[in-house]
Amino acid sequence: MTELIDNLEYFLADRGIYMLALILFGISIYGMVCCGNLLKKLMCMNMMQVAIIFFFLTFGQKEGATLPVALAGQVTSPDAYINPLPHALMLTAIVVSLGTTGVGLALLMRIKDIYGTIEEEEITGKGGKLR
Amino acid sequence: MSQLLFHLPILVILLPLAATLLCPLLSHFRLDWGKRAVIWGLFGAAVCAALQLCEVVNSGEAIHYYIGGWPPVYGIEFVIDGLSGLIVLLVAIGAFTTALFSSPFERRERDGTTVRSAGYYSMLAFLSLGLLGMASTGDAFNLYVFMEITAISGYGLIAVGESKGPIAAFRYLLIGTIGACMYLMGAGFLYAATGTLNMTDLAETIAQNDLANSPLIIFSIACMIIGFGIKMALFPLHGWQPAAHSYAHPGADPMIAGIMIKVPAYAMLRFFFFVFARDSRVMELFFDFIGVLAVLGVLFGSLKALRYETYNKILAYSSIGQVGYIAMGFAIGNYYGLLGAVLHIVSHAFMKAGLFYTSGALKYKYGIHEITQLGQVYRSMPVTALAMVVCALSMIGLPPFAGFFSKWYLALGAVQNGQYLFVAVLIASSLLSAIYFFRIFEQMFMAARSAKTEAGPDAPAAPATEPAAPDTAPDAPAAPAAAAGRLHLELPWQMLAPLLIVTAAIILLGLGNAYIAGEILAPALSEVTL
Repeated sequence: MTELIDNLEYFLADRGIYMLALILFGISIYGMVCCGNLLKKLMCMNMMQVAIIFFFLTFGQKEGATLPVALAGQVTSPDAYINPLPHALMLTAIVVSLGTTGVGLALLMRIKDIYGTIEEEEITGKGGKLR
Repeated sequence: MSQLLFHLPILVILLPLAATLLCPLLSHFRLDWGKRAVIWGLFGAAVCAALQLCEVVNSGEAIHYYIGGWPPVYGIEFVIDGLSGLIVLLVAIGAFTTALFSSPFERRERDGTTVRSAGYYSMLAFLSLGLLGMASTGDAFNLYVFMEITAISGYGLIAVGESKGPIAAFRYLLIGTIGACMYLMGAGFLYAATGTLNMTDLAETIAQNDLANSPLIIFSIACMIIGFGIKMALFPLHGWQPAAHSYAHPGADPMIAGIMIKVPAYAMLRFFFFVFARDSRVMELFFDFIGVLAVLGVLFGSLKALRYETYNKILAYSSIGQVGYIAMGFAIGNYYGLLGAVLHIVSHAFMKAGLFYTSGALKYKYGIHEITQLGQVYRSMPVTALAMVVCALSMIGLPPFAGFFSKWYLALGAVQNGQYLFVAVLIASSLLSAIYFFRIFEQMFMAARSAKTEAGPDAPAAPATEPAAPDTAPDAPAAPAAAAGRLHLELPWQMLAPLLIVTAAIILLGLGNAYIAGEILAPALSEVTL
């Protein structure tokens, strides 16, 4: 029993945070499929991007390591610093996600202008069906 | 001069970028200037792409360009070998002709498809920039950034299209973002497993440390199949594609439908054959899976295309089938299979772009959407009809044209591997595409003149829209009158030139395929095939 709990503890400490990112990813995909409101779909899309960012930041972490800034006379071993590359990559990804969300909101305004609503069913009813 | 030649790979990206940024500024003074900046910028990019491909072929070695002088692993690297050079050239030619093709649209207003502002040209140049970058980069994360650049400008170009454009664009935005996120997750797994993002380095690390069967790499491959599959509209992931391709702006549609789905296919090839180890058991399973999807996609796309009367829908569904051919080439995986896949990327890009040029031309002149309205249209638009016939025959796969040779190589590869199912599917789908294209030919050449055609044929440039589009005021008026006085063309020359370029390209690709296969592609492909 204690072994099981130890294993569980190890799993949660080691992999649990990845599971959280995965759950967030799953929830957002579910939301994008099931929400009827287009703005909610867009928010779910944003959540999905956050889940990916979260995933990247998590594997950039290292136990007992500090910020990747080399100060004079301080620690010099590379083991003492976390990997800064995932953070740098995610800065770019955040900008990309901002751009995508902006375009999505602009499209929603156009849709609202044309159909007067952003509920998917009502749009379909007003001739916005794609097939 | 040699310095300039040395910087060619980045010039290909910088010229469209400069055009993107300058276009809104210049258009503030005169609408025409911004448009010209984009057309010349893309023309410059095409020239640079041709020069760098020449250099690669002459020297027989790939160009490795380090951005900012940072060596690989630390910096971003552009790799131009025969394969990526060819794709870059293809994208650049497509971008230039598309920019040229869409320039007459600003004088017309049919079902709301006027190009009203400089934003359109800016987005077109931005789209080209993203695609060029995706083709030339050798860095996994950089590929993601260029992919998103492509996607964001693509959403814009789809949204400025016809009535349902915004809805189609919004749906594509949601699905496309899932695709990009899946790719990013795949790149993340790769980075977690290897600690590098440079593709050459990734390949070496995976091979040296024998990582091919590690779970991280397997996850990464699965994520990338979904990511690229969505972006290239591979069969079960194609949901966004028919609407996006049929409702996009008719001027930009050739670029979106012809080329935007081919570059992710190239990126998939780059990852699956140049980065991941080919000879692992897992990879074989994944390739079998892709093969199943490809077969289903080819049959689904071709059958679905038979059901529609709308010209663009037929073309869009036929694209799903044609992307299936490319995936089939990956699944075959030997030298001829890959050669067929790459040649099909190139030739289908030209064929589909050409067909969408004809679609745009028909919309521009008569507002034709349905193939039942085509009756005898070849009498008043002979060049358009010629281009359509050449592209369609090439799609079906008749010998002198490019489409035949890519299918031929695919069939050769399949026979060499003993995968006769693929050969049967190739033949069946060629027959199906013959059916849907001959339906179009029947309407165009044999059906009675339709009422729609009779209504508008002798008013090629009715100047009814000048008051409706005040921003085009300084340079637009009197152009139709001047055109009528000179040689009477069926379309403005800006639209005829792309049609002729594409037709010539299809014939040249068909006749010169031995040169392309032997001189350009063979050095790049032979090193990765077993």
